[in-house]
Amino acid sequence: MNFEVHNHILHVENIRIIGVASSSLFMVGDAETIQLSSAFDTPAESLIIGPFVPLEQDVTPGYANPNL
Amino acid sequence: MLTRTSSVDRLAVSQVAFSSIIQLGDSCYLNGFSRALAVQREAEFFHGNEGNFPSYAIFRRPLPLPPINEAISISRYNATPLIRANKIHVTAVSNSSILHVGNTKHVSMEVRIKHIRQLLPRGDEQDTK
Repeated sequence: MNFEVHNHILHVENIRIIGVASSSLFMVGDAETIQLSSAFDTPAESLIIGPFVPLEQDVTPGYANPNL
Repeated sequence: MLTRTSSVDRLAVSQVAFSSIIQLGDSCYLNGFSRALAVQREAEFFHGNEGNFPSYAIFRRPLPLPPINEAISISRYNATPLIRANKIHVTAVSNSSILHVGNTKHVSMEVRIKHIRQLLPRGDEQDTK
């Protein structure tokens, strides 16, 4: 398949953005490939009503030293 | 192929936080990764060492990406060698996001967020009256 693009004048006067968040990309320029993936989880079981129970302890090696 | 030049007259950014980047000029690879456990509790109750990403499935599951080696031939003709913007105002860039002025080759960004809400048992909440 052949894909032909002709780029003519691209001139934007003003851009106002409140936020670029969560691995988003705002770009003025050209790119060859862009891959964005996002996973967002708010399941019903994540709403917990009851006495506060702490989440599971962080055991990621390197920065999960409980003595810190 | 002649590349286009990006030209921005004024760029104003108020805040850049949590491993975010402002890149002025060309780049080759952009890789962004961010994960967050967003815990909201009805009362202020937070331990410092809480939250283990691998215990939640959303942080473990592989995210399939579309292939970028498709059999396609792209030809670009840049009649105007400039991408122009006069004024850009961004209030905040956060959580491994990128603000890029210039050209790049390959971008790959990923985010995973898990929301957890903990509410007090009915009757135990603070009287708001």
